[in-house]
Amino acid sequence: MLLIRRSPRANATVRTVSAGGELFVAAVVICMILASFGDAIDPAMFGEAGLEFAIFDLGGEFSVLAMRDWHLLQLLLAGAVLALGISVLRVGSAAIVKALRPAARRVLSKVPI
Amino acid sequence: MQPEFLSAGFVSALFAIVLIDLVLAGDNALIIGLVARNLPKNTQRKVIFWGTFGAIAVRGLMAVLVVYILDLPGFMLAGGIALVWIARKLLTPEESSTASHAVKAPATSFAAALRTIVIADAVMGVDNVLAIGGAATGSVLLIMLGLAISVPIIVWGSQLVIRLVDRFPSVVLLGGAVLAWTAYSIVVREPLLATWFAGHAATKLVAAILIFSIALAPWYAARLSPQSQPLVVLLPAVLVWLLGVEVAASAWKLQGEYGLEAVRWLGWLPLAAAWLWLRERIGLRNLHRPLPPRTSVE
Repeated sequence: MLLIRRSPRANATVRTVSAGGELFVAAVVICMILASFGDAIDPAMFGEAGLEFAIFDLGGEFSVLAMRDWHLLQLLLAGAVLALGISVLRVGSAAIVKALRPAARRVLSKVPI
Repeated sequence: MQPEFLSAGFVSALFAIVLIDLVLAGDNALIIGLVARNLPKNTQRKVIFWGTFGAIAVRGLMAVLVVYILDLPGFMLAGGIALVWIARKLLTPEESSTASHAVKAPATSFAAALRTIVIADAVMGVDNVLAIGGAATGSVLLIMLGLAISVPIIVWGSQLVIRLVDRFPSVVLLGGAVLAWTAYSIVVREPLLATWFAGHAATKLVAAILIFSIALAPWYAARLSPQSQPLVVLLPAVLVWLLGVEVAASAWKLQGEYGLEAVRWLGWLPLAAAWLWLRERIGLRNLHRPLPPRTSVE
């Protein structure tokens, strides 16, 4: 029996995992799939610094083609940055949507115009 | 290719090994406790010491064997497939988490207790050793470091591991993802497939998504609505279809023909529709089946 089965939370991790933890692991998995995408592309297909540079090279090291050589730690870091970016976007967009939504007609916070 | 000592590749592989050690650690203390509970106190102490020693020795032996076995052609593919199954099993919740299937009854003698402990550890440690072997990329130093990390977990670290995964269940999810990544890495390194993958580079992406879609199925299945549950089977099936068509096309030397492309991209649709129809029919039949008559229990 695995040790993790002794903890009810870890045993049912797919149900008990926190939203932040889940987002981080999902972002890491996306980075892993992107790395395999970089692995699946033949750079010679696009010629020397031609279409390859235009489509995939988004700035030297941080391209899908460069990701093929990334190690696990780099993928984890990229996943953490991606998850953080998504969280910031989520919080920011929620704040914008909330600000744009009109208040109810007779609510106290309604600004009389 | 083996990573250089303390390079980014080396540290990454070491991190993967530590994570795998944590999530695939077996409960040796429980096994030893179950086996030795009916023995006299004096013998119990001896069983605990020699049982732990035997478990470590077996783990070391298996680690060395895995290094040699993964070098043989075909075993990397088999190991990769096994790792996918291990990752899937890791993420699937188990209903009875208190019982151990490895131990049926307490031992009555020292030799029987030792034998049971060693066999139970060997059975429990196969997945751990295989995963470490895959993550170590053939480096004996990394295997030894992995063993050096797993031994303290076997002997003292069980409570620490339980507390860690109880506080952060996402460690188990991450472990599943790392196992799937390790499975992908060793499948594409398989010597029998290396030439084929070099000629069909795009299939690496299909293989990666296939491995992740099977290994992480318990995770995304828990988030899907009942209507979307067939995706858990359909997604891997479509990816297997794409890989199968590519293999068939390369075997029969068919390239760029319209018929082939039509079969590749549309051929799975009738099969998927037939499977969905059959699934619905079976579901409806089970729904309309009359309930068995009630029997009163006196």
